Amino acid sequence: MPVSRKMVTITINKNQYQAEEGEILLLTTMRERIDIPHLCYEKALEPYGACRLCMVEVVTCGKTDMKPACTIHIQEGLEILTDTPDIIRHRSLLFELYLAEAPKSDVIQDMAEKYGVTKTRFLKKIVHDDPLAGKCILCGLCVRVCNEIMGTCAINFINRGPYTVVNTPFFQENQDCAGCGACASVCPTKAITIENSGDTRIMRSWSDTSVKLVSCETCGEYFASEKMIQYSSAILDPGIINEIKMLCPACRRKLVTRRMIGGISQG
Amino acid sequence: MKIISKADLDLVRKTGLKKIEPGHPRVGVGLSSCGIAVGGMQIYDRIMDIIKRNGHDISLVKTGCVGYCREEPIVSVVIPGKAMVLLHKVSGEDVNRVISLALKGEVPNELALCKISDWDHISGKLVYGNGFEDIPDYNEIQFFKHQRKVILRDSGFINPEDIDEYIAIGGYYAACRALTGMDPDDIIDEVKRSGLKGRGGAGFPAGLKWEITKKAPGIDKYIVCNADEGDPGAYMNRNEMESDPHMLLEGMLIGAYAMGINEGLIYIRAEYPLAIERLTFAINQARDYGLLGKDILNSGFDFDIQIATGAGAFVCGESTALAASIEGKTGRPRLRPPRLTEKGIWGRPTDLNNVETWCNVPVIITKGAEWYSDIGIKGSTGTKVFSLVGKVENVGMVEVPLGTTLNRIVFEIGNGGAGGKSVKAVQTGGPSGGCIPVRLFDTPVDFESLNRAGTMMGSGGLVVMDEDTNMVDIARYFINFASGESCGKCVPCREGLKHLLLILSRIMAGKGTVKDIEMLKDLSDTIQKTSLCGLGQTAPNPVVTTLRYFNEEYEQLIGEESKGG
Repeated sequence: MPVSRKMVTITINKNQYQAEEGEILLLTTMRERIDIPHLCYEKALEPYGACRLCMVEVVTCGKTDMKPACTIHIQEGLEILTDTPDIIRHRSLLFELYLAEAPKSDVIQDMAEKYGVTKTRFLKKIVHDDPLAGKCILCGLCVRVCNEIMGTCAINFINRGPYTVVNTPFFQENQDCAGCGACASVCPTKAITIENSGDTRIMRSWSDTSVKLVSCETCGEYFASEKMIQYSSAILDPGIINEIKMLCPACRRKLVTRRMIGGISQG
Repeated sequence: MKIISKADLDLVRKTGLKKIEPGHPRVGVGLSSCGIAVGGMQIYDRIMDIIKRNGHDISLVKTGCVGYCREEPIVSVVIPGKAMVLLHKVSGEDVNRVISLALKGEVPNELALCKISDWDHISGKLVYGNGFEDIPDYNEIQFFKHQRKVILRDSGFINPEDIDEYIAIGGYYAACRALTGMDPDDIIDEVKRSGLKGRGGAGFPAGLKWEITKKAPGIDKYIVCNADEGDPGAYMNRNEMESDPHMLLEGMLIGAYAMGINEGLIYIRAEYPLAIERLTFAINQARDYGLLGKDILNSGFDFDIQIATGAGAFVCGESTALAASIEGKTGRPRLRPPRLTEKGIWGRPTDLNNVETWCNVPVIITKGAEWYSDIGIKGSTGTKVFSLVGKVENVGMVEVPLGTTLNRIVFEIGNGGAGGKSVKAVQTGGPSGGCIPVRLFDTPVDFESLNRAGTMMGSGGLVVMDEDTNMVDIARYFINFASGESCGKCVPCREGLKHLLLILSRIMAGKGTVKDIEMLKDLSDTIQKTSLCGLGQTAPNPVVTTLRYFNEEYEQLIGEESKGG
């Protein structure tokens, strides 16, 4: 889609706002600090529309239609309602479903509580030895970031419907996992466990897949996985790699700072 | 040979007619999956054996299904100059007598179901003849007399594995007319004026979809036939493809020409091996005749069809999941818009129509939009094939004009409940539809009326329930199906259906409470309103309609004591 810079006027909850044409409504509302809960949206990825929490009502010719805010693109005259009784009712029920699906998630509990839902009428899902500790809500962000952004495809959805889980193929240690941890960093419910132990990183949630870590040439701290370094080396300018060498972020900063100071004093 | 003109088509027609009217007895065995399931293949093999061993002057062919499943195996006998006779419930022991009588120009009267003097294939007419005064006429059979065969025009009459027979009854003439003498836009206009609505369930006007696809910017577009029929109790599409595969190919060819698209795909579920086999066969025959391929009928238009098989996921009938499945991805729906007509397979504009929608196209071109729109009612034109199953006396494929009442379908054609039991309800539209109680059976079966009754047309499954059926159990059955088929992407469908199922099971076990009923209602509402795709949006319909029409059955299961709470 071509980037348009045209500003248009939209109406949210009877108030008028200026927004960029074509922008995703959810981004506009975040900027304008209009509260809409959401769990599966990530700016780096295409809208996915799976969590259904960002449902809003679009008003057209006096009629309303419920749609997720992450799928609505800004256009002139767009009229949105975010807190109608219908939306509150459905949102509360969805929170009840989430509370039952991820009973161990503090994030979900806090979020639900914020919207007035403190308990669920539904049977809580209890999985013994759940690698995701009863916190996964299957938003798919980890899978998408692993497949679409990193291009690693180490994890994916397994089974379907209510039996869906996320893990490595056949629940076995996966050679493809680079141990980058992008999955954990995008997880909205902090469900993914990664442990660093000496020169090894263990992806506890992903069938205990282990990856080797590299240590900093200067301080000896283990700071990144071997595969991640290989991956970055392959896509970065070789000049940069030579310059920063195998340094941890802290030592890299020091190195760069020293060079700059050196440059100033010499100059 | 390649068919490049109407004259060539006429030549093949003559060859085909010789096969249908060979000048000696012709015996056809109904060999769709249903016929095969009740032993049709053994009958076919036995007859073949007798004919070969004795060198009898008899033609034996495989035919499709006439739709009267209850009476299978059905064998048709045509004695030259006499009416075609349909024999029913034929067994292996009957074979010898059928053959020896046929050689004498007779049929075993006690096996005869009915006779057919002439048949309107719409694309052409066949006159068989008279005789057999003691055998009732086709139109006197209760199951047949209220039906109107437009889509099933050839089913059970011709050999689905022989393109010559399809051409003999006027097949591919509509395509010839379209490709050699009609402006593509006029074809779209004709389809629009016919009022043909998509037969897959949603009922979107077919001509309009064609127009949108045609106008969508992009090259190398696709047309796709959705043959991923998966509703429990529905097998219309399977029967259509097994009995008359060429009508589908011809429909797609005409559509492709109208939209200017050169690539066609049939997305069919792998659970339909015979349909896949016959379609593959038909595609190859059409290619041999040059009716698929380059420069079809000397028109300069290229078109070919490939088959893509699904791995048996109900959700892959949803358009975006279907496109993902064809691309080799997991069949999970994505957000719409963009619709397939804008961004379909491999990101190209794609026109997706159901098997039955395509099968209507040659008829519309042959007979014209006015003729077609005279069938049915305003807003729902044409006929629709239903699979009438469940606890009904006459189980089978039923084709009636849209707007026919459920009363007529269930009580007149279906002859009421099986074994004389009283009918309680009918489920239309499979797991996405709802249960309609018998007191509303004057509801005409058309897109609008069914929606008003809280259900939908769906692809055409009609499951009849009788006095012994527990409606809560029915709701549970369909929710179990939908939950198992949910892709698991969005929360209301994945989690919501699971909890619906748990609650329904609890009620069925006699442990339900009044609160459970409230939960069923709340959950159903949220699932319908917030699910991502059609599967979730319609899945609670069986619960909603049974709560609406059969609330007392829920109350009975909950029991008196817990009502106070």
